[in-house]
Amino acid sequence: MNRDKILFLAVVLLFALVNGYLLAAGELPADWTGVGVIVAAGLTLALYSFLYKDNPLFKFAEHVYVGIAAAYTFGQVWFPTLYGELLRPIFTDDPEVAATASVWLLVPTVLGILMLTRFSSRFGWLSRISFAYYVGLGAGLAIPRYISANVLAQMAPSLQPLSFSWEGLTLVLVMVGVVSVLIYFFFSVEHTGAVGVVSKVGIWFLMVSFGASFGYTIMGRLSLLIGRVQFLLDDWLHLM
Amino acid sequence: MLFLRRTLPMILAFVTGIIGISIYYVPHSSAQGLEEVLARWLRIVYAFAFFLGLFSLLNLHWRRVRARQAGWGYSLIVYLSFGLMIFFVLYNDGTGPFSPQARAGGYQWLFLNVQVPCGATMFSILAFFISSAAYRTFRARTPEAAILLVAAVIVMLGRVPVGAYIHDFFPAAAQWLMDVPNMAAKRGILLGVSLGIVATSLRIIFGIERSYLGGGEE
Amino acid sequence: MIDRLLNIDRRIIFVFVFIGVAVPLLLDFNLPVKITPSSQAMYDRIEQVAAEGEGIVLLSFSYGPSTVPEIQPMVLSILRHCFSHDLKVVAICLWPDAVGLAQQALETVSAEYGKEYGADYAFMGYKPGGAIVIVNMGQDLHSAYPQDNWGKASSELEVTSNIHSLRDFDFVIDFAAGNSVDHWWVPYGQEKYKFPLGAGCTAVVAPDLKPYQNSGQLVGMLGGLAGAAEYEKLVGQPGSATAAMTSQSSTHLILIAFIVLGNAMYFISRRSARSQ
Repeated sequence: MNRDKILFLAVVLLFALVNGYLLAAGELPADWTGVGVIVAAGLTLALYSFLYKDNPLFKFAEHVYVGIAAAYTFGQVWFPTLYGELLRPIFTDDPEVAATASVWLLVPTVLGILMLTRFSSRFGWLSRISFAYYVGLGAGLAIPRYISANVLAQMAPSLQPLSFSWEGLTLVLVMVGVVSVLIYFFFSVEHTGAVGVVSKVGIWFLMVSFGASFGYTIMGRLSLLIGRVQFLLDDWLHLM
Repeated sequence: MLFLRRTLPMILAFVTGIIGISIYYVPHSSAQGLEEVLARWLRIVYAFAFFLGLFSLLNLHWRRVRARQAGWGYSLIVYLSFGLMIFFVLYNDGTGPFSPQARAGGYQWLFLNVQVPCGATMFSILAFFISSAAYRTFRARTPEAAILLVAAVIVMLGRVPVGAYIHDFFPAAAQWLMDVPNMAAKRGILLGVSLGIVATSLRIIFGIERSYLGGGEE
Repeated sequence: MIDRLLNIDRRIIFVFVFIGVAVPLLLDFNLPVKITPSSQAMYDRIEQVAAEGEGIVLLSFSYGPSTVPEIQPMVLSILRHCFSHDLKVVAICLWPDAVGLAQQALETVSAEYGKEYGADYAFMGYKPGGAIVIVNMGQDLHSAYPQDNWGKASSELEVTSNIHSLRDFDFVIDFAAGNSVDHWWVPYGQEKYKFPLGAGCTAVVAPDLKPYQNSGQLVGMLGGLAGAAEYEKLVGQPGSATAAMTSQSSTHLILIAFIVLGNAMYFISRRSARSQ
C-alpha cells in the first residue's frame, strides 16, 4: 500500500471518528440537519484534497456537483416558467392564475421548441428562426440602452466645468485618464510621437486600475476561503 | 429552400432588431405594450434555451461512458447525481411536478447541503492558487508592473481594518485610487466596450454578422 | 538557497494561507471596521426611504453558491435594515442558483422580525433572461412575474398588488456576482425607469462599478466582504462578515509579505547573476 492510499484511509477514518464524536456529544443533531452538515463538510474536504494532489475523492465530489447543479437549474426553469406560465394557467382552478393564460403564448412555445431542433442534422435549420428572434430582438433592445447608459451618461460627468480646487484637479485627472485610455485602445493609429506619449499615460492609468482589480480579486477569493473555513470551524466542528 | 433556411431568419433578425430600437423611442402605449409582449416571449424562449446546455452536458458524459474513455466512471457519477436531484425535483415534496414548487423537501436539502458547499469550495480553492501565484510570479520587472504592484498593495491594505490600524494613509489612498485613476480607466474601457457592443448589434441586425445562424447546410 | 526559496513547494504557501485564515477565527477578536462613502450611501438611502414612510424595496439576487460567503452577509444585513423600518420587500432572482439562497435569507430574517409572507414581503423566484426580465418588469411587473415562487398570483399578494412596474419601487438593490449591474440593471432598468439603484457585489466586480457611482447611476455599493462588514456595523448587528475581517487582514498581510519577499529574492538573484 503506497503513501497516498495510507493517507487517504487515515483521512477517511479521522473524518468518521470526528463525526461520530460530534454526533455522540450532541454537537450535531442526529437528524437530516446534522446529516446535511456532515455531507457538506465531507464534500468540502474532498474538494480541498485537490490542494495536496488531484485524486479520486476530488473528482467524485466535482462530478456530483455538476449533476446536482444541472438538475437544480432544470427545476428552476420548469416550475416558474415552463409549468408556471405555460401549463398551469390552462389547467388551474385559481381564477387569478387562469387569467394570465393567453393563446399568444403559443408563439414563444413554438419558437422554444424549434430551438431544440438545433441538435437534428435534418431539421436543425428550423432553430435559426428562434435564434434570429432571440439575437435580433436582443441586439435591437441593446443599442439605444447602451448608447444612453454606458456612453452618454458616462461622458456627461467627465465633461463638467473646471475650477481651481481639489475637485477641479480630480476632474482634470479623470478626463486625462479616460481620454488616454481610449487613445491607448485605438490601434488603427501607430503609437508614436504625441499619440505614443498619451498612450503611455493611458497604460499607467490601466496599470493602476488592474492593480486595484488584482487587490480586490485577492480580497474576494480570500473571502470565499474564509467563509468555508468559518463553516468548517463553526457549523461543523463547533470550535468558534 | 434557401429562403427559409437563410433569408427568412435574417429578415426576422432585421425586423425584430429595428422594432427593438424603435420602441425605445416611441412613448405611445401601443409601442410600450409591444415591448412588454416581445420581452415576455423572449423570456420564455430563453427558458427553452436551457435544454440546449443540458443536452450538451448529458451527451458529453454519455459519450464518455459508452466509449469507456478514461474516467468514464465519473461521468456515470454525473448521471447518478443528476438522476437523484431530478427525482426530488419531480417528487416536489410529495406534490409532483405539476404543482407549484414546494418550500422544502429533498430538492432544497440537496441544494443547501451539496450544491452550495461544493460551489463555494470550488471557488475558494482559487485563494490558495492566487497566493501561490502572487509569490512566484508577481514581479516588478518593469515600471508598469511596479505601478500595478504598488496599487494592489495599497488597495489590499486599505480595504481591511489592519490598514487603518497601521496608518490612516492606507484607507484614504485606497479610496482615492478606486475613485480617480481606477474609475477613469474603467470608464475608458466601458466606453470602448459599449461602442463595440453597439457596433456588433448593428452588424447582427443588418445581416453582416451571421454566426448566430450556425454552420451546416445553407 | 534563494533559488530553493523561489521554487518552494506551493503546498507550504497553502499552509501559511490556511493558518492566516483559521487562527484569527479561533482567537475571536475584531479590529474596528472603517465605513466607506459607498456603503454609507446605501445605508442613507434606506434610511431616507424609511423616513418618507410606506416604502417598498426590490431585492434582486444575481449570485450563486460560489459567492455566498461574500454576498449572503450583506443580504442579511440589508434585510434586517429594511424589516427594522417596516419597509416592504419584494425579492426576485435573475440567477437560477440564487433561489435557495434567497429563500433561506428571507425565511431567516422575516422570522427574526415577525414579518408575514404576502403582507410584508414576497418572493417572486427566478425567471430566465437576465436583462429581458428587467425590460419586462419595467413595463409590467405582473407580466414578468404573474405568480410568486410558490404559485400564488402576484395580483393576489398584498405587497405586489399595487406595484405596476419598476418605477413604483423606492429602492432597487442588485446582489451581483457577475456583471448583472453594469450589463443588465443600469442599461436596461435604471437608465429608462430612473429608479434609485444600489449594488451589493463581490470584490471582483466592485472596481468595475465605480464609473456608475461617479455618474450617479448607482446610489451606492457594498463591495465584497469588507462592504458586508461595514453594513453590519452600520445596522449595529455584527455577523459573519465582521468576524471574518480579522482573518481577511491577517491573510492580506501574509500575502503582501509573500509578494515583497518574492520580489526581494528576485532582485537579489538577478543582481548576483549580473555580478557573475
